[in-house]
Amino acid sequence: MKRALLIGSFNKARSLAVSLIKKGYAVTAINNNYRDCLILAEIDSLNVINGDGSIPFVLEEANATEADIAVALTQRDDDNLLICELCKKKFRVKKTVALVNDPKKTEFFYKMGIDSVVCAVNAITNIIEQQAFLDGIAALIPIGEARVSIAEVPITESAPVAGKRLKEINLPKEVIIGCILRGEKSMIPRGDTRILAGDMLVLISSDKQEMAAIKELTGRI
Amino acid sequence: MKLISNKKKENYTVIIGSGRLGSGLANALSDDGANVMIIDSDKNSFRKLSPSFGGLTLLGDATDIDVLHEAQAEKATAIVAVTDNDNTNIMIAQMVKELFKKERVIIRLYDPELECVYGEHGIDTICPAVLSAKEINRLLISGNKEKK
Repeated sequence: MKRALLIGSFNKARSLAVSLIKKGYAVTAINNNYRDCLILAEIDSLNVINGDGSIPFVLEEANATEADIAVALTQRDDDNLLICELCKKKFRVKKTVALVNDPKKTEFFYKMGIDSVVCAVNAITNIIEQQAFLDGIAALIPIGEARVSIAEVPITESAPVAGKRLKEINLPKEVIIGCILRGEKSMIPRGDTRILAGDMLVLISSDKQEMAAIKELTGRI
Repeated sequence: MKLISNKKKENYTVIIGSGRLGSGLANALSDDGANVMIIDSDKNSFRKLSPSFGGLTLLGDATDIDVLHEAQAEKATAIVAVTDNDNTNIMIAQMVKELFKKERVIIRLYDPELECVYGEHGIDTICPAVLSAKEINRLLISGNKEKK
């Protein structure tokens, strides 16, 4: 069984813990707020430790040496950096993940040996931007540090591509239609596949080309 | 800024954290005629600087790379991080080591146990608890000797 260690943040730790436990992880959460700990302790089979996760003996108590993955979720960048470095260097945790607030520090965190750096501000502003400006897309999932994104694009009757074959559409180079969801069926399209109104297209795009592609497909942004 | 680089290029110290230690050090360095820049995120902290302080002050969060650039950290001969937060000091030290390639980085740490984190980076640390223990021990031993 894989072991995960979550340090800091009440809300993020709570939902992450529930989801990881469902996936079969043994999860330990460290939180320095006693009240938050009590609520966290209500989650079944979650180990909770009350303490400051940037102090070595607290991590030791949480059995950090046994952990396969450590996730630092505190509010402060310096705490997250230190927690991950402690986990990596003192407790030999295989994979460390840090949340970072300041996007300018992402690269620096990677340089310090953290395996995965998640910039919350970037992720959230991206989502808000999508929600606010893109009615055409049902969902847009960034992967590979947001260099690549997967989007679900519904095709309405008014869409310029409805009824057209794939090869007739002028998509940007960095974009492919990976899959077409039509009713209950899903199919991997070829050049002569026809797009129909009511289809849901799964779009894979890199290099920030998704906007241009969506505009091409739906005729609007 | 220009005045500084014209006057004495070889000696420019950036101090981060204007507490008792930081401001005291800044005052002493300034009295010796050295170029000093002191950074703190609270402008009231600069009150601790003596009226004769001849260095520069910068209001800002030194964990922000832009603030370090503004302080011309890349020109500094030494960087001293003495905020009241160990984790902040360690991060600043690692940032100036890694991003500004500084040789001389000194930090104050309350908890000596964190050494494994910064040890390999070649950061000089001052730990008040360890120093105090040594000094008290020395006083005790010399006291004992006097009794004999």
